[in-house]
Amino acid sequence: MASIARCLRIARPSVVSAFAQSAVRIARPFSVTANNELRKYTREHEWIELSDDKKTGYVGISSYAAKALGDVVFVELPEEGKEVHAGDALGAVESVKSAADINAPVSCKVIASNLTLEESPSTINKVPEDHSASGGWVAKVQVTDQGIADLEKLMDEEAYKEFTAAEDH
Amino acid sequence: MAAVLLRNTTGGIRCLTKGPAFISTTTTISFSHGFGLLTKLRRSHSTTISQDLLNKKVQVYQSTSKDPYLNLSIEHHLLQHSHPDSYVLFLYINDPCVVIGRNQNPWLEVNLPALQEAEDIKLVRRRSGGGTVFHDHGNVNWSVICPPAVFDRDRHAEMVVRALKDLGVTTAKVNERHDIVIAGDGRGNGKDIFKVSGSAYKLTRLRSLHHGTCLLNSPRLKNIGKFLRSPGEPYIKARGVESVRSPIRNVDVDTEEFTKGVVDEFCAMYEEQCGEDVKLKRVGEEDVKNMDNIRKGMDELMSIPWIYGQTPQFTFSSRPTEDDPRERPPLDLEVQSDFNIQFTLRHGEIQTANVSGLKYEGRAIDGDFYDGVVSQTLAKGSEDDSAVKLYEIKDWATILKSATTGQAFKVSDPSLNSISEWLNKVFPGNHFR
Repeated sequence: MASIARCLRIARPSVVSAFAQSAVRIARPFSVTANNELRKYTREHEWIELSDDKKTGYVGISSYAAKALGDVVFVELPEEGKEVHAGDALGAVESVKSAADINAPVSCKVIASNLTLEESPSTINKVPEDHSASGGWVAKVQVTDQGIADLEKLMDEEAYKEFTAAEDH
Repeated sequence: MAAVLLRNTTGGIRCLTKGPAFISTTTTISFSHGFGLLTKLRRSHSTTISQDLLNKKVQVYQSTSKDPYLNLSIEHHLLQHSHPDSYVLFLYINDPCVVIGRNQNPWLEVNLPALQEAEDIKLVRRRSGGGTVFHDHGNVNWSVICPPAVFDRDRHAEMVVRALKDLGVTTAKVNERHDIVIAGDGRGNGKDIFKVSGSAYKLTRLRSLHHGTCLLNSPRLKNIGKFLRSPGEPYIKARGVESVRSPIRNVDVDTEEFTKGVVDEFCAMYEEQCGEDVKLKRVGEEDVKNMDNIRKGMDELMSIPWIYGQTPQFTFSSRPTEDDPRERPPLDLEVQSDFNIQFTLRHGEIQTANVSGLKYEGRAIDGDFYDGVVSQTLAKGSEDDSAVKLYEIKDWATILKSATTGQAFKVSDPSLNSISEWLNKVFPGNHFR
C-alpha cells in the first residue's frame, strides 16, 4: 500500500473519487470503536485488530489507503489456510490500472476471506476498517507466536494518525 | 564484491565496484546536458543479471528477445530483485501477442477463434492491472521500476512524452487515464485524438512498476480491433476488470530512435542519482537461461492455470438475466423456442449450469427432464466429479454427447451441431498460447 498512498499528495482531484472521500467522513461503526487498543497499523497502511481471544483477528487496509487508491474495481483475496510472514503479500487490489499488494501486518494464517469483496469490491472503499459482516475487511487470520511479537512493532491508532499526517506534507 | 560509494563534487553518488571485475566490455551511455543521442553502444558480455548490477542506483536494460513470456519474466525479476532505492528502465519488443491484465477475462476481452486462426499470435496474461493490448514488432514496451516514495502514475509517461516530442511528435501528451495520446498525426495535422500508449502498474511493498506500450509502426493496426472483440462479449458478465476502448494509430517513429530517446530522457531524469556512469545492459535468452527465478516466472506465465484459470468469476447466458439484462443478438440454432444456456464459472471452470430447450431423440421425449440431466452433468463434470474446464474443451460436441452417455436419449444431431458450432466460437479451448 505504501506507494499508493504517495499518490494522494499529488493526485489530481479527478483521481480520488468523491465517493471515496466521503467514506472517510463516515462515523466509525460502534463495534470498531469499542476495542481501540487492540487495533494496530503498519507503515504500509494495513491494519490488524485482534479479537478478545488475542489469537485471531481481522486484517484490512486503512481508510487512508482506501482513499488514496481510488475506486477499487477488484480484490484478490487470499486462500484459506495460507500462511504468511509479516510483510508478505496477503492478496491484492486493483484500482486505476494498478495491481497493488496487500501485505500481512504480522505473521499469521488465513482462516477466512471476505467474500463480500468479490461481489462488491467498492465495499473496501466505503468501509475499509469495518470488520463486521458487511464491512471492508480483507481476511480473518490466526496470529502465530511470531505474529504476537510482530504486533509490538506496529503503530497504535494515535501513532498512525500522526504518521499519516506527516506523510501528507 | 564490495561496493564503494564515492561522492562527487556536486553531491551526487557514483557507484563503483571493487574486487574481481567481470570480464566485460560494458556499454556506456554518454550524453550531454543537451540530451543528445546515444553514442557508441558497446555490448555487454556478462552472462547474468548479477546482484551487483541490480544494486546500482540507476539501471538500464534492453531485451534482445522477442518472447513476451521471457520479457515479462525478466521485468518481474527486476521488480523483485533490484535494489529498493534504485531506478530501473527496461525496454522490450514482443512477437505478436494479445496481453490481458492481471484480473481480466480472456473469453470476454479477446477474439480467441481469431487468435487460433492466426496461429502466430500468443495470448499472455501480465501481472500488472489494466486492460487488454496488442503487441507486435511495431510496438515498444517501456518499463520503469522505482521506489514507492516517488511513485506517480504520470511521471514516467511524461518522460516518454518528452522523448516523443524530441522526435517531432509535438502534440503528444498524457491524458487523464494516464495514456499517451496524440492529436491527428502528432505533428500538427489533424485534431482527432488517438491513443498511442497505454499504461499499467504493479505495486509491491518495496517497489513500484509502471510499464506501457508505444505504437510506433505496427503493420497490423487495422486488425488489432478484430483481435480485441470477442464473440462471447454479448453473453458474458464478468467480475474483474474490463478494458476501455480507444481509437489508436501509429506514431510513425523508428523503434530504435524511440528506444534511444526514452533511454536519454530516463538518464537525464536521474542524472543526479547516477552521475555519469550508466551502462546499458542487453539481456536475452542466453543471459537468463541459468536464472531459476526467471525460468520459474516464465513457466508460470505460460501455464494454462495462469492464463485461463486466473479469471475472476463470470456468468455466461444466452438470454437476458436480472444480473445482465442486455439484449442478446439473435441466435439461429436448431433448438426449441425456450432455448437457454446459463453457466457460472470460477477459475474458468463451470460451477453451475442451466440448460433448456435442446432438441432430443430417443424414446418418450421429455425435454425438461433431459435438459435437467444435461445441466447436472455439465455442472458436475465427468465421472470423477471434477468441473468442466473451459480451457480443456476441444469440441463442445464431445461435451454435449458425453452429457447423455448411458441415457436412453441423446441430443439430436442437428441440435448438437448447431449449438456446438456456436459454443466452440465463444469457448474455443486452448489450442494456442
